[in-house]
Parts: sequence; C-alpha cells; structure tokens
Amino acid sequence: MDRHPRAVVVAANRSALTEGVFPGQALAGALAMVPALHVAEHDPAQGCALLEEVACWAGRFTPTVSIDPPDCVLLEVAPSLRLFGGLEALEDRVRHGLDELGLAHRCGWAPTPLAARWLSRAGKARPVVDIRRLGPPLDALPLAALADGSGVDDGVLALLHSIGCHKLAEVSALPRDALARRHGACVGDALDRAYGRRPDPRPVHAPPQRYRARLPLPVASDRHDILLFLLRRLLIGLGGWLAARHAGVDRLQIVLEHEGRRPETTLDVLSGAPCRDERRLLLLIREHLERLTIGAEVDALRLEAAAPVPLPALPGDFFDDHQSVRENAELLLARLRARLGPDAVRRLRTRSDHRPEHAGAQGTSDALPALSPGARPLWLLPRPEPLDPSRLELLDGPERIESGWWDEREVCRDYYLARNRGGSLLWVYRELQAPRGWYLHGYFG
Amino acid sequence: MSVRPISLDQLPAGLVWRGARFAAPPPSGRPSGFAALDAVLPGGGWPRGALIELLCEQPGIGELSLLLPQMRQVAAPRWLAWVAPPWTPYAPALAQAGVPLERLLWVAPERPREIRWATRQALLSGSCALVLTWQSELDMAALRRLQLAAEQGATPLFLFRRRRAALQPSPAALRLQLDVGDDGELSVRVLKRRGPLLAAPLRLALPDRGRPGNTRFEAATAAPRRHRTRARFRPGLSAEAQVALQHAVAGPDPAPARPAGIPARIDG
Repeated sequence: MDRHPRAVVVAANRSALTEGVFPGQALAGALAMVPALHVAEHDPAQGCALLEEVACWAGRFTPTVSIDPPDCVLLEVAPSLRLFGGLEALEDRVRHGLDELGLAHRCGWAPTPLAARWLSRAGKARPVVDIRRLGPPLDALPLAALADGSGVDDGVLALLHSIGCHKLAEVSALPRDALARRHGACVGDALDRAYGRRPDPRPVHAPPQRYRARLPLPVASDRHDILLFLLRRLLIGLGGWLAARHAGVDRLQIVLEHEGRRPETTLDVLSGAPCRDERRLLLLIREHLERLTIGAEVDALRLEAAAPVPLPALPGDFFDDHQSVRENAELLLARLRARLGPDAVRRLRTRSDHRPEHAGAQGTSDALPALSPGARPLWLLPRPEPLDPSRLELLDGPERIESGWWDEREVCRDYYLARNRGGSLLWVYRELQAPRGWYLHGYFG
Repeated sequence: MSVRPISLDQLPAGLVWRGARFAAPPPSGRPSGFAALDAVLPGGGWPRGALIELLCEQPGIGELSLLLPQMRQVAAPRWLAWVAPPWTPYAPALAQAGVPLERLLWVAPERPREIRWATRQALLSGSCALVLTWQSELDMAALRRLQLAAEQGATPLFLFRRRRAALQPSPAALRLQLDVGDDGELSVRVLKRRGPLLAAPLRLALPDRGRPGNTRFEAATAAPRRHRTRARFRPGLSAEAQVALQHAVAGPDPAPARPAGIPARIDG
C-alpha cells in the first residue's frame, strides 16, 4: 500500500505502546521497531462520524451534549443527576454504555468543560462537583495539559516550560497582563475558562432528524455472528438517539454494502410496535438475517431508521411487569412474522355470514357478532370431505343454511350433528341440490 | 389380651404414608375447570410451566373442550398460541365458547423444524398464557427441549399427539390419554403424573360440547331450523348467555374413583 513518505503514528494501542511505538513517531521508525505492526490509515472524517455517533447516543443522559473535536464529547449532566440516581450511578451507566459500544474511553467530571477535559486526560477519576474545590486538582496538573483543547499552541508551552513552569499552579501565578502582552490572551483565557472565572459556552449538538449510521467492517465478512455483533453497535447508537427524543421506531432498514460494484442487500425490519430496545431489534434482525443468503462478503453496514414515533421516556414504570409482557407479546408476533412470513401467522375474527366457511375469517378488525344460533364445531375443515352417511348416527338437525346467492358461492345445505362409530362428534351436511351428497365439515373438538 | 384392630385411617396423620397419596404437596396448579380432573392432577390443576401431552387418536371427542376453561381466561396482553393446528380453528364456535378471539394467535409454519422453533419461541417469550401444538413425530431431544422451554417461560404447553406416542418415553410432566367412553363422555386416562400411578380412567362430562349425546334426534319428523338470508331466523341467545347457560347446566362432578392398594411410582 502506498503511504505518505513522512507518515506519523497518530495513536497506538496498548500492546504497540509497550513495544515502544509512540504517537508522533514517524511510521517508518515504528515499522522498523515492530515489523509486525498492524497499521490502519487515520481517517479524520471517520473520527468525526464516531464523535457524532457518541453524541447521539449520549442524548439519553442529557439534552445538552456538545462535540469538542477532535476526541471529546461533553455532557452537561447537572440537571440529570437526580433522574439517574446520583453521579456514581450515572457514571456507571456512561462507562457501561461506552464499553458496550466497544470504545476505549476516559471520563472526567468537573464544573467547567475545560477542567473536565483536562482532568479526564490526566486520569483523575475522582469527580469534582463543587466549583470552589476545583482549584487544587487543576493546580496539580502538568503544564502539557494546558494545550489540550484550549487553543494554546506548542510555542507558548515551550516558552512557559523554559521559564520554569511545570504545573498549572505556576502558570496561574504569573502576572497576567505581562503574559497577555507576549502571547496574546490565550493562556489567561484558557485558565479563566478552566477555573470557572469566565463563562465557557459550547454549541449544543443538534441530533439529526432521521437517524443514519454507517459502520465499515475492518475485514469484509459474510458471517452472521460478526454482522450481528456490529449491528448491535449501530442499534445501541440508535437507542440513545431515540431515548433522547422520547421516541421509538417501528421500521428500520439495514443495508449491507458489498465489495466492488455488487448491488447492496437491503433488509426491511418491522417491529410491529414502536421500540427502541436494541436487544429486541437485534432479535428481529437476526430472524431476517437467518432467512437471507448473503451472496457476497459484506464491506460495510448501514442503518437507516424510519421517522421516530413517540414512546414514553423511561422504560421502567410502575406497571413494569405488565409492560414487559406486552412488549414481549408484540415482539413474539413480530419475530414469528419475520421468520415464517406474514401468511403463516394468523388472527381470527367472526363475520356476520350464515355460510359456515365465511363466518370465520382471518384478520383482526372489529367484526360484527357472528350469526350462529346453532351449535358450531371448534374445528372446521378447510374443504368439506365427502363421507358415507350409513356409518353415522344423526344426533341433532337439520339446520338449514341457504345463503350467498349474491356472490356466486351459494350454499344450500342441511347441517346435522352426527356421531361416527369411533364416538367422535361430527358436523356434517347434505347438499340440498342433486346429487344430494353428504359431506363432513367439522369436528366438535 | 385382646387387640382391637384399627384401620390405617384412624392413625394420627403423618405416621403412615400410603402409596396412593402424594408424598409431598406438589406446587399448585392451574384449576382445570373440572373438579374430577383437578382431584387427580398433582397440585390440583394443570401444571403451570410444563409440557403436558394429550394423546388422542381421533378428533371430535372433546379434546379441545377440555381446554376451553383455560382458553377463556386468556387476557390481554398475553397470547393464546395455536401452533400448527391440523384444521381451521373455527372462529364462531370459539367466540360462542367465550374464547377471546383477539388474543388467539394461529401460527401455521410449513416445515416441522419451523413448527418446533415457533413453539419454543412462544414458550420462551413468556407472553403466552398457554400454547397448544399438534406434533406427533418428536424425538426425545425435541421433547426435552420443549419441556425446558415450558419451564423457562413458565408457560404450559399442551402437546396433542397420536396414541402410539404413548410407547415412547417422554419428559412430560403429565401425560393424558383421551378416549370416548361408552356413554359419549370424554374418558381421561392418566398415563403419567408427578405422583402415584392412577389405574382407572376418569369420565368427564364436558359442558361445552355441542349437545348431550344421548338425545337421539329424529331427523325425518322434525322441521329443519332454517337460516335463510332473507327469511326470518330464530334469534339465538347471545354468546355470553349461552356460555352462562352451559355453566349452569354443568353439575358437580362425581368423586374420582381412586382405588387403594396401587403400588406407588414417582415419576420425574
């Protein structure tokens, strides 16, 4: 593969770091040290898309989310603490959620965005809640933290380092106006924003109106388990986006992009009822995938959700048990339909028709009460079968049914309740027209 | 010195355990709607989350009526699932019997594998009040999977099979063989239950069956009841009224025949 001759390492994972690779190193040097190094091209656009995805997902915790490029998403959580049961519970949820997305992450909690960023970068796990206690932990940070996300450039850092500043406390102690004359106002400004002496408003991330996400596969594959694993990741992002809008979707589309110019494979997933639970959606998608034979290896996955439908905010309510049974019932219906096809899952209703084969119908719409004054069998044969009347004992009848002259399917029959030799109760009829044959039409189960 | 013989029944409770009794009180079941049947079922009713096999050779002997009391109790949001029924479940008759049609889910997969899959999913989802299925060809592993799914989903599964399946061992919690008695009533023979063996079959008068079997009808002399679209027809009772009537007619069941001295066998 052609590479830029002066390519540098942007990031390295833990095992590469232990081998001696470090960010900022020339790629040639890194490859010389570790020939087996697995190198992937850094794609800033992909990084932005990932931040966007995380920002959408984080909408489930707070409405005020902003993206702080190149590697940070800021959440304003103070108004949400009560809802989620305190900072610790919320932190658990955020960390757990990011783990589920499969992202390596660091969390920091502070009253100002810049302080949160610096503290998380420095690995200070203890959250700072009170702005008056923000001073000491920030003072203890090394000088390098100052350049992170604040607009302070390396030249300024080098200068500060050269005059003997190693901690933020020492930079804070410098005379402010003298510093400002030499380097513009950026250092003082960054410190003021971090310590909360100056407001630091951030643009709020506006989630898109329609959810779309795309996930390229690291290695093309057609294995269901791999596809499902990656689809889960897409669905978690969708779940956060939906939770932020207090909505669910009842329809979404999964597009499998193939290598080369092969046409895409599209799966239409209908969930029956609005839903935002990724486990339920994943189960449905699994049914669809199992029916599908994927012709070619999949290169990337795309998820496109339909317009969101309002759904109550929190999944757990007072009638949680009832609610989960209801959701399971809807899920069961949707899964059976997805796997077996819509024709194999039927509902019953009655219709106001005297003809037995028309009085029961499939469908769910509200029907008029059935017109069936006589006894009716629980089993109806889809097609009446001719039978020999001499083996029957007629118990009740006849009940004459003459109807249907208007639609070419007229019936003129005398129905009887009969018992056969084996003791079964049958519903039989005799045609009133020649040749006056006898037929079996049902069993009294 | 004379010893007065006393019967075992006169001894204080707990001293002697007799083979025809249950050793321990089994978990409570769901009342079947038939007192005579409840009396012989462990727990006083259908087991709550278990495989129940109903072996029956011919249709039309009241095999569905036996379950109607259960089906009537199905309420939203739970389903009443019928997986792969052999004929069409007839909506007017079910509505007449008080079965909530809007909760009935008729699943008709084509292949046996899909039938087994659909049955298991219905059980595992925990959203079905009861599941009915018709499958005769099942091996031991498939039966065991169904039994496990029923336990896991706490949903009773009623499995209708042909009578020859009785020869095959089964992990079912309950196996009943259904036949027609001489008088047209349903005869229930308990082949297996979690408790002592029961020798004599049980007779059940099913209130929901079309008509009492012994009133012979003279077809030649009676004028036919007519349902003509333009002619007047006799307005029948409403479905609820008929159900109520049928309940009123159904009297108390006779006490179960329970012979003493049957050797005990604990199944399961």
